[in-house]
Amino acid sequence: MRDIVRFAITLTIVSFISACSLALINEITKSEILSREQKNLNNALMYVLPGSNSTSILPIQKEGQFLYYKGYEDQKRTKIVGYAFLVESQGYTNSIRTLVGIDTSGSILRIKIVSQQETPGLGARCEEIQNGESIPWWQAQFQNKSAVDIAVDKDGGQIESISGATITSRAITDGIANRTKKLFETIHE
Amino acid sequence: MKISKIFLKGLYDNNPTFRLMLGLCPVLAVSTSVHNAIGMGTAVIFVLVSSNLIVSLIRKIIPHKIRIPIFVIIIATFVTIVDLLMAGFSPALHKSLGLFIPLIVVNCIILGRIETFASKNNAILSIVDGLGMGFGFMFALVIIATFREILGYGTWFGMQLLGQHFQPVILMILPPGAFITIGLLMGFLNWIEHRHIHKHLTYK
Repeated sequence: MRDIVRFAITLTIVSFISACSLALINEITKSEILSREQKNLNNALMYVLPGSNSTSILPIQKEGQFLYYKGYEDQKRTKIVGYAFLVESQGYTNSIRTLVGIDTSGSILRIKIVSQQETPGLGARCEEIQNGESIPWWQAQFQNKSAVDIAVDKDGGQIESISGATITSRAITDGIANRTKKLFETIHE
Repeated sequence: MKISKIFLKGLYDNNPTFRLMLGLCPVLAVSTSVHNAIGMGTAVIFVLVSSNLIVSLIRKIIPHKIRIPIFVIIIATFVTIVDLLMAGFSPALHKSLGLFIPLIVVNCIILGRIETFASKNNAILSIVDGLGMGFGFMFALVIIATFREILGYGTWFGMQLLGQHFQPVILMILPPGAFITIGLLMGFLNWIEHRHIHKHLTYK
């Protein structure tokens, strides 16, 4: 009996010291990681809303509801490029976050998968870039398609699923369709 | 004298990749470019040396029966520290190494050396063993990555080496290329070792 108590106390002390060290390092790196995420988001916004720049994208959020972005061609906000919003879908492993840019008619401009932790070689191929190209091939096929109507080929749609990664493909595709519907509801309120 | 011997053993005689054959999974996956190889190697050296040091400092007070969970907690802590530091200060490397940074926790080299060496030797020797094994691992990774990157991309460490007309051997970047490269290198090193032993025996 005494042994078990000794073991429990030792493990607790080791875990406590470990947790404290991690909390310390987390504090040190937190702001750096956060500012990098913000920078990545800004770059992604400009990418999915082609023609916009860092001064012409406006975040809109009514009382803690759906957050979306309205992109214009310039700071004076004369010509609208479209809307951008974040889609969060449950993938095979964890949640996948995709930034989607659509024009005013609901057709997808570009998408950019911001974060995913899918299986390398399968679901993670959603971010794969072929030799010689500059954008992920799987994401490129979303361009110019109607955002509310997209579906994977297995569900009768136009999006080619990644072989061996149906769940990932479906999660992202359906997530975009559903979120776009919600966006239109919010805009027309 | 003993210290340098321990260090050199980790580099060649007991090279974790080519001789002990430990932790081959990340070697196969990360050796597609020399840049990634050096990044991964550095992370493993940091975790190996830190874990070896801490374990050897507390080796006399760890109850023997729960030593493995304690080792794993210590290793996991250092791996998380490396992961956070990389995410904060080296995001490009963090993104290209991706899943394989947290996987360092289950890299057999680290738990293996802690159990075999650090839990039975003093701090200085443990640090040196960690450095030797760590650099041996990085050395193996960089050699394999050199072959795979030059043949598969035509570059070394990002610098274009082979000209426009070079047709890259895509196979080298894929998993089969990794297995083939490692197999051939191991065979080559075994052949050298064999000749060395043969020479010694003949001259006797």
